[in-house]
Amino acid sequence: MTSIGTGYDLSNSVFSPDGRNFQVEYAMKAVENGGTSIGLKCKDGIVLAVEKIINSKLLVAGSNKRIQTIDRHIGVAYSGLLPDGRHFVNRGRDEAQSFKSLYKSAVSVPHLMDRLGIYVQNYTCYNSVRPFGIVAIVGGVDENGPHLYMIEPSGTCWGYTGAATGKGRQTAKSELEKLNFEELTVREAIKVAAKIIDQAHEDNKDKDYELEVTWCSLEETGGKHVHVPEDLLQEAIKLAKEDDDDDDDEEEDDDEEEDQEMET
Amino acid sequence: MNHDPFKWGRPNDATYGAYNHHIAQATPYAYEEQHASSTSTTTSSFPKMNTQNPIITGTSVISLKFKDGVILAADNLGSYGSLARFTNIERLIRVGKETIVGISGDISDLQQIERILEELETTQEVYDNFDGGDDLKAPHVHEYLSRVMYNRRSNMNPLWNAIVVGGFDKDGKTPFLKYVDLLGVTYGSSTIATGFGAHLAVPLLRQLIPEDKDYVNITEEQARECILNAMTVLFYRDARSLDKFSLVTVKNDGEFKFEKELRCEGQRWKFAKDIRGYGSAQQ
Amino acid sequence: MNGISVDINHLKKGEVNLGTSIMAVKFKDGVILGADSRTTTGSYIANRVTDKLTQIHDTIYCCRSGSAADTQAVADMVKYYLQMYASQLPFDEKPQTKIAANIFQEICYNNKDNLTAGIICAGYDKVNKGTVYSIPIGGSIHQQEYAIAGSGSTFVYGWCNENFKPEMEREECVDFIKTALAEAIKWDGSSGGVIRMVVLTEAGVERLVYYPEDYQK
Repeated sequence: MTSIGTGYDLSNSVFSPDGRNFQVEYAMKAVENGGTSIGLKCKDGIVLAVEKIINSKLLVAGSNKRIQTIDRHIGVAYSGLLPDGRHFVNRGRDEAQSFKSLYKSAVSVPHLMDRLGIYVQNYTCYNSVRPFGIVAIVGGVDENGPHLYMIEPSGTCWGYTGAATGKGRQTAKSELEKLNFEELTVREAIKVAAKIIDQAHEDNKDKDYELEVTWCSLEETGGKHVHVPEDLLQEAIKLAKEDDDDDDDEEEDDDEEEDQEMET
Repeated sequence: MNHDPFKWGRPNDATYGAYNHHIAQATPYAYEEQHASSTSTTTSSFPKMNTQNPIITGTSVISLKFKDGVILAADNLGSYGSLARFTNIERLIRVGKETIVGISGDISDLQQIERILEELETTQEVYDNFDGGDDLKAPHVHEYLSRVMYNRRSNMNPLWNAIVVGGFDKDGKTPFLKYVDLLGVTYGSSTIATGFGAHLAVPLLRQLIPEDKDYVNITEEQARECILNAMTVLFYRDARSLDKFSLVTVKNDGEFKFEKELRCEGQRWKFAKDIRGYGSAQQ
Repeated sequence: MNGISVDINHLKKGEVNLGTSIMAVKFKDGVILGADSRTTTGSYIANRVTDKLTQIHDTIYCCRSGSAADTQAVADMVKYYLQMYASQLPFDEKPQTKIAANIFQEICYNNKDNLTAGIICAGYDKVNKGTVYSIPIGGSIHQQEYAIAGSGSTFVYGWCNENFKPEMEREECVDFIKTALAEAIKWDGSSGGVIRMVVLTEAGVERLVYYPEDYQK
C-alpha cells in the first residue's frame, strides 16, 4: 500500500489506510516498557502482583503502593503510565459508587468491566484526547465467584484465568500457562505470583524492584481486596529467591519470542 | 392590631398587608402549583416545604463512657405510630474498626445514614488508606455526621434522627462519646441518651457518673449493669420501646463486643398483686 | 381554615386510595403475594375488582397500597429501571428480587414528601429463591419472612404472628393468606372484593382468584 507513512499516527480519530489506529498501538508501547503486572484467578479468589521498579534510592521502601482498590471487592494492577492508571481507577470508583447508590448492592465485576470498557474505548474515538497508556488487570470476587479481566488502551476487555502485562509479560505468560487454575488456591498463588514476578524481572535486571501482592477471596479475606499479610509476602519472596538460584542455568531460552507480540 | 371581633389580635391588614395563607399551608407541591396557576414568570414568594415528619421510628439510644471504653444500647423496635411495626431493627452501626454509631428517630433516614457511613468508610479506609495510614476514628465520624446533619437542616430537609457516636479519641485510648441531632446540635458527655432516654435514663446513668470526669473510676461491669438497668426502666416507662435490644461494648485494648437480641432481665412485676383500686379501699 | 393550621392529610383531594389489605409470604418453593380488590375514593368504591399485584419482572411482583396514582407511577418506573438493569446482565441471568426492592426504596425515599406509597416487593430468583421486602411509607426497606401492609393489615397482625410458619407447603401457604385477608376484609371497610394471589416459583407465575363465597366463613 502506497499511502502508509505520514500523518496517520497523529490523531486518534483517523484510521490509517490499512485500518490501524496508530495512537492506540503507541499506547501499547508505553505499557510494554512498564513494570510487569500479573493477575491469577484461582478456585477461591484472585491474586494480583506487580513488579515495582525502584527508580530512586531515595524513595521510601515499602511505600508508594501501586495496586489500588476500585470497590471493597475489586482490585486493580496496571502497567504503563501511572497517572493514567489513577484516572482509570477513579473512574472505576465513580462507576462502582453510582451503581451502589441506585441498586444498594455491590457492582459485579463483569458489569463494572462493561462500563470501564466503554469508557476506555471512548478515548480512542476523539482527536482531542489520547488513549489510556495502561493495560489494567482487574480482579475481584462477587456473588458469582472470582473474576479476572484485562483491559487494554483500545478498550478491549477480556476475561482471563491468568493475565500478564508490562515488560516481562512474555516470561510471565509462559509461566502462567503452566498452572492449573482449577486446583490452585489463593494461598498457593501468592508464592507462584512472587516467583513469576521474580522471573519476569530478569528482563529488567539492571533496576531494583519491590514486590507488591494483593488478594481477594471469600475464605481468606472475607471477600475484601487487601494486601497480603507481611509474613506471607516475605515467605513468598524468600521462596522465589531460593528457586531463582536453582534454575539460573536453564533460563536462557525464555526471551526469544519477545518481538512477535504486537501483531494482533 | 386588628380590632374586628373575628380577627381580634391579628396584625392589621392595612398596616402589614394581607396574611399569606400559603406560608402556613406550604406543601411540597408549592412550586408546581405556582407554575400551573401563575401567568407571570417571576419567582414566587410561595415557600416550598421540605421538612417531613418521622414515620417509622426507633426510640432511645443510651450510652456511657467507662474506664477503658464506651458502651451503647438501643432496642430493636421500629414503631409506626403506636403500632409495633418491626421488631428486628438494628440501630447500632459499626463504622471502621472501633467506632459505634447509635441512631434513634426515622428508620428510613437511619438507613440513609447507614449508606452515607458505608461510603465514608469506603472512601477513607479503602481508597485513601489502602497502603496504610490513619484509620477512621470516632471524632472523624462524629464531625462528618454533624456536618451532614447541619447541612440537611439548613436546606430545610433534615434527617430526622438523634445520633450518638462512641469510640476513642485520636490517641486511640481516651473514650469518646458525642451526640448530634437533626438540627446539627452537638455535645459530648460521659452519659448520653436520646429521646425518651434523655428524660428517663440520663438520671440513672448520672447516678453512676455524677460528673463528666468521673468515668475514669467506672469499670466495664459497673457500666454494663447500669445500662442494662436503664434499658429495663425504659421498657417499663417508654410506650414505644421493646424488651429486645442490642448492646455494644468497645474497649481500648481492641475488643469490640456486639451483643444482639438481649432481653430486659430481672423485671419486677410481682408487686402488682398487692395493688387494688385507685385510692379508696377495695376488695 | 384559619390560616395557621397546616393540612397534614397525605392524600390529595379526591385522590383514589388503595385502602388495602396486601401481603406476601415466603414458602417452601418460593413466594406468594395476596391482595384484596377494593379501590376507594372516600367511601365510594371506585373499582371493586382491582388488581393490586403488579408485575415488575418475570418472577418479581409487588403489592401496592396507598395512592393508586403514586404506586402505579412508581411501579412503572421500577419496571423500566429493572429492564435497563436486566439488559446489562449476562444473557442467562435475571435480576434478583433485592435489586427491584432497592429501586423501590430509592424512589420512595427520595420522593417521600410527594408520595403515599406502601409497597411490598416479593419475587423468586435463582440465587435467593423466594424473598419478601416491605417498603413502607417513609421509604425504608425491610426484608421479612412475610409482610403485611395496608389499612386492613392492622386487624391481622396478631393472627399472622401466631399462625405463620417458615417453609410452608404451597396449599398451607395459600390457606394462610386466604384466611388472613378474609379477616382483614371483614374488619376493614376499605378492603373488599375478591382475593387475588400470585404464586412465584421456579416454575414461573401462577395467578389465583378467590371470590367472596369462597373465602367467607
